[in-house]
Amino acid sequence: MINDFHYLKPASLKEALAMYAQYDDCKVICGGQSLLIVMRQGMVAPEYLLDIKHVKELSYIKFDDKDGLRIGATTTHREIEKSDVIAKKYPVLVAMEEKLASIQTRNWGTIGGNLAHADPAGDPGPVLIALKAEIKFGSSSGEKTAPLDEFFVDYFETKMEHGDLVLEVHVPTPEPKFGCAYQKFNLLDSDMGIVAAAASVTLNADGTCKDARVVLGNAGPVPLRVTKAEDLLKGKKLDDALFAEAGQIASEEAQPVADIHASEEHRRHVLGVLTKRMLKKAFDQAQKA
Amino acid sequence: MSHAKYSVINTHVHNIDGVAKVTGRATYTFDVKLPGMLYGKILRSPHPHAKIINIDTTRAMELPGVKIVVTGKDTLGIKQGIWRRYEELCDEQVLPLEKVRYIGEPVAAVAAVTEEIAEAALDLIDVEWEVLPAVYEPLEAIKKEAPTIHEGVERNVNVTRHIEWGDVDEAFEDADYIREDWFKCSGQAHMCMETRAAVSSFTPEGKLTVWASTQSAYYTQGLLAGVLGLREGDVRVLAPYVGGGFGGKFELDAAMFCSAVMSMKLFKPVKVVFTREEDFIASKRRTPMFYYVRTGIKKDGTFCARESRMFSNGGAYTGMGATALYLSGFFHSFPYKWRGYRYDGYRVYTNTLPSTSMRGFGAPQAMFCSEQQIDWICADLGLDPFEVRRKNGHTEGYEVPGQAFIASCGLEQCINEIEKWVKSKGKLPANRGIGISSCGFMSGGIFNWFDSPYSFSSAVVTINVDGTVELHVGCQDIGQGSNTTMAIIAAETLGVKVEDIRVHSGDTAHCPADLGAWGSRQTLMAGNAVKMACEDAKKQLLEFAYAEMGINIVYDLDIKDRWVHIVARPERGLPYGELVKKALRAKDGQRIMGRGYYTPHRKGMISPAYSYMMQAVDAEVDPETGKIKIHEVMTAHDCGQPINQLGLIGQLEGAASMALGYAYLEDMPFEDGKMMNPNLVDYKVIKAPEMPEAGIIEIDTYEPEGPYGAKEAGEGLTNPTAAALGNAIYNAMGIQMKELPITPERVLKALREKKEVQK
Repeated sequence: MINDFHYLKPASLKEALAMYAQYDDCKVICGGQSLLIVMRQGMVAPEYLLDIKHVKELSYIKFDDKDGLRIGATTTHREIEKSDVIAKKYPVLVAMEEKLASIQTRNWGTIGGNLAHADPAGDPGPVLIALKAEIKFGSSSGEKTAPLDEFFVDYFETKMEHGDLVLEVHVPTPEPKFGCAYQKFNLLDSDMGIVAAAASVTLNADGTCKDARVVLGNAGPVPLRVTKAEDLLKGKKLDDALFAEAGQIASEEAQPVADIHASEEHRRHVLGVLTKRMLKKAFDQAQKA
Repeated sequence: MSHAKYSVINTHVHNIDGVAKVTGRATYTFDVKLPGMLYGKILRSPHPHAKIINIDTTRAMELPGVKIVVTGKDTLGIKQGIWRRYEELCDEQVLPLEKVRYIGEPVAAVAAVTEEIAEAALDLIDVEWEVLPAVYEPLEAIKKEAPTIHEGVERNVNVTRHIEWGDVDEAFEDADYIREDWFKCSGQAHMCMETRAAVSSFTPEGKLTVWASTQSAYYTQGLLAGVLGLREGDVRVLAPYVGGGFGGKFELDAAMFCSAVMSMKLFKPVKVVFTREEDFIASKRRTPMFYYVRTGIKKDGTFCARESRMFSNGGAYTGMGATALYLSGFFHSFPYKWRGYRYDGYRVYTNTLPSTSMRGFGAPQAMFCSEQQIDWICADLGLDPFEVRRKNGHTEGYEVPGQAFIASCGLEQCINEIEKWVKSKGKLPANRGIGISSCGFMSGGIFNWFDSPYSFSSAVVTINVDGTVELHVGCQDIGQGSNTTMAIIAAETLGVKVEDIRVHSGDTAHCPADLGAWGSRQTLMAGNAVKMACEDAKKQLLEFAYAEMGINIVYDLDIKDRWVHIVARPERGLPYGELVKKALRAKDGQRIMGRGYYTPHRKGMISPAYSYMMQAVDAEVDPETGKIKIHEVMTAHDCGQPINQLGLIGQLEGAASMALGYAYLEDMPFEDGKMMNPNLVDYKVIKAPEMPEAGIIEIDTYEPEGPYGAKEAGEGLTNPTAAALGNAIYNAMGIQMKELPITPERVLKALREKKEVQK
């Protein structure tokens, strides 16, 4: 059962940050899609809940060709899924959102909440890292920006300290020959991934690989970048054999934990398959771009 | 046989309680709230097997708001079971006195002024345990050195069942080819939308009223009276709306028992509602089964003999397991003619959640083994699986030796239709296949282990002055739409409209006794009772019509669409409403009342009638990850005369979702007796995005024993699916799946093993 708590409802970001700084045993709630579950299980029982759902200044999707995409922290998954500009410029984000839980969850859950919760099985993390996103967070004493892959520290832990709120996700404008793909492996389409892989590929004008990213979901304490696989691809003319080799590396570098849904061996195997497939898909996109 | 023209039967009738449900006005047990009501919670065993040395409730009683704490010592300590006729199978004390046999078993119950206080009080009950060695798998539990779960039960064998006909050994000798396989079928949670729930109210007059989420108000009444030391007539059970049953809700459960025990001590209403976790770990489940199947066949595809042995994981108590044990063995022979057939089933106690009946009643497991093995045999011998099934299938007039008589059977047409459908699909892409499976199912059980002295089904119909109809039935609507089915049968028989009928059900004080909603029995059995009651009432009405109309006695009269008329001259007649008024006056004001009942006689051992079907599943496998995608399910189905088209579609789709879940998603893994996924995140039930198209082809047959020719139409549809999916995967990938559920990991393992063999 959910414990009794004091409910705080700031009207502005400034007020929210001030309140958060003031109360020690305080958790931030916006969509509540992650927090309410752990509260119901009694795993989290804060004295104060700070509800930032009504802080409208954090709810936005902005895009310009130079600066790229900026998504405010309290923007819902459903808003991202339904955004025309994101569909046009970052289709992988829409595809990811379409399979993130159910419509009900996407209507409530927010991008900031998802990233702050830092569940390594979360969908947005690996995709946004593959897209080279940065995250802006801050408290009443100032703002910080970090590449998203450095933001996650451990299971359910980020660089943020008490008093920090996620403010914005920034995704740079894709380079000319760029592709990005994401797929999770699960039993039900709307489930979190048993494992997942995101990959992005940037090509030089001569068709060789300028840059690549491989990011695994639910394969360790944080969304896991497989730099060894990325390094393998950079500078080379890409082909299926290289993708298979990169998959093999991902499979070895992963640190998945077995549970009733899949053994460690099966998780490693599928991570290899997904990595190979997503690299190929990203590569095909980059070639066509 | 050609059917009469029906006005209501086989039309699209929306559930008569649909509006109440979708507008939230339907009162389920969960919604019942009485003045002064207390809330009960149950303390459950953390051990799979342990002696209760002492239970100290002092600290819990001291918590403000707590009104009572009860343990087994506060009960009559009666060992109960639904197989009332057989004392040795009544093995479950709902609050045990001496020891617990599975994790989650009730140990004590608390009633308090709020649910929160009751919950908090559970932590203050101090139980002293002596933990005993435990055993979880039937093949372990049956060993000599295994711990004893029930004193005096040797090798933990709870029940055995032997079915045999023909000279099996001789028939095997005639076989050109014999194949044997082992299979492992998993358990499955009933996963009712409404968890087990009860509100009990005992008053100083000595009367107990219980609202319960049950599949049979009558069974609940009888079982409660038995364990509480009350007369059946002093217990009233109400179940106006029930949020699903699927075979898991016709035994006595801890919500009913604990709420009643506490209410009787306090003279106050007490409500107990299981959480979803409690429903998973401490209700009951589909019976997990190990099957050994040996089949002998001639080169030309003629079946000779089958011999099977089955070991089921019975869990801690008998429940309905004894019936599932028999029915699994019986339907394992279906729907084919065997010269020799032999089945030996062993139900073995283990220290896990008790197993019981669940939609299909042991048949889905039996078919998973049988129907896959038949396809493999066909492949081994180069035979056509459709042809082999046609050649050996049941036909009208066949007698399953000593077991059953088949009065109607559309199996051959089912096979023909599915064959056409499969062939129309043409060549499929790589890694995709269609699998088939045929089966049959019963239309209600003949067995009377409950030892009911009442008719199996009864109905009473009374006609009001304005022509509206009160239909009282004991059959239980649990969401499957039986009230609507009964209303249709009543409206058709009386010649009125569905909206003229008010169905009264789920109340033992006002409705006649009926065994309830299990074993696909209500359409046939309660349907016959309703038809008989309405014919009785209609006959009385028509007697007045003859007098009123002054016609030649050789003319037949009938009522259709509220018009009483001469059958040969339909334009000559009078309105039904007018006739009712006159009949009432002529009877000195007595209402027209009809009575009907059904009890099977001379219908063999199992059931009065059998449905038949063949199903095809179109599925695709990702060869690298093992993930399965279901594209489509198509079923050709002989349920006799369908009563309600919409209801039938609902049953088919519901069955497909449940049976596909069983086939490739749902699992109940245990570690040291603890269920590892008692929540809806980790227990995988099919959701809308996974649900494939599920079509139906109705085969026209007429069952002489059924009301208007109707048979079973909902439960049997769960039987073929796991096997059909297995066969689809076999056809797509060439791998044989012998264990349920068919998970991606098991698919990949089978693919690897296939590669090894090919090397």
